[in-house]
Amino acid sequence: MSLTQKSKKFLEDLHIYLLSSGKNLNEIKEITKELEDHLLEAEANGKSVDQVVGDSPSAYMESISGEMKSDLASWTKYFPLVLLGPIAFTIFGDLINGGELAYSLFHIIGIIVYTLLFIIGVAIVLKYTSKKQSSVTKEIFILSLPIIVSMLFYLSVLFLDTMIDTPIVHFGEIGSIVIGSVVFLLIIAFSIWSKTIIIPVVLLALFLPDILLKETALSESSKLIIGMFITYSLIGLYLFYIFVKERKKQQGSE
Amino acid sequence: MSHTQMMKGIIDGCLLAIIDGKECYGYEMAERLGEYGFDAVSEGTIYPLLMRMQREGLVTSVRRASTAGPQRKYYSLTKEGKQALVEFSLRWQQLEKSVNAVLKKEME
Repeated sequence: MSLTQKSKKFLEDLHIYLLSSGKNLNEIKEITKELEDHLLEAEANGKSVDQVVGDSPSAYMESISGEMKSDLASWTKYFPLVLLGPIAFTIFGDLINGGELAYSLFHIIGIIVYTLLFIIGVAIVLKYTSKKQSSVTKEIFILSLPIIVSMLFYLSVLFLDTMIDTPIVHFGEIGSIVIGSVVFLLIIAFSIWSKTIIIPVVLLALFLPDILLKETALSESSKLIIGMFITYSLIGLYLFYIFVKERKKQQGSE
Repeated sequence: MSHTQMMKGIIDGCLLAIIDGKECYGYEMAERLGEYGFDAVSEGTIYPLLMRMQREGLVTSVRRASTAGPQRKYYSLTKEGKQALVEFSLRWQQLEKSVNAVLKKEME
């Protein structure tokens, strides 16, 4: 027992239509499976696709799509990651290597502008995309614009900081501990909220080798190689763990 | 209100009644509606309605193997669904009475 070409075509079209409207993948699978079952049984009883989907398949697809929510919310949770990541990287790196924090005025203003630029940019594009019904590729492109722009901005701040001379602000021991703790708490809060431990994992992967190898008598080059090995292994392990988890989730939903 | 909108509201209520009678899956509901004379409505119409009713918490669904073989999504009413059915039934009886009265009186 298999479907007629026309039914198959309809199900494929529906799948693509819902995907390109940015709907949740599991929900898409669920409704297409349900309709496939329905069409199978209908055709076995001598009914046509038209009797199931009506005169206008596109109007029918729209009515299905209208009852499903967009899936963008599930990955906008990664926005804070992009904001927090570079700042945490800079601050923790300096805390581990130097102890007390000291940044040029230029760098500090740069971080503040970067944060504002990022938040305002994200707010604007989220508002824009929620009003418009565009394809997923276009939506992802629009949403990544503020990320790319603010990242480039931060990189250029880091780069220009080495060339421009502005007064250095020393935070002292207590100031450094306070800043470090605040960033640390923000990361914990973000990890709990987004249910991902990607920032802690990446930070650990980047800084653990430094901490572990600092006191050893190894030569600089072997430190570098072992350090890189630890970094890539940790990130690799994490990606593998995510991959296995996602696969289990997919199998569970089928 | 357009014809289809009015129909949707009515089919909503009928689906609640059908599901209340016996836990069932989509194709079964469509068949039953057809048997009751709703054959002008295309069968697929029920799915967007079921999706909405599920979102509103009127029905729940479980995937289960049927006696015939494939896994099917079976729907049943929640407490809210049963309440909605009672309300629909009252509204409909009132509406039916009014429409009948108008027709009877005015078309004499």
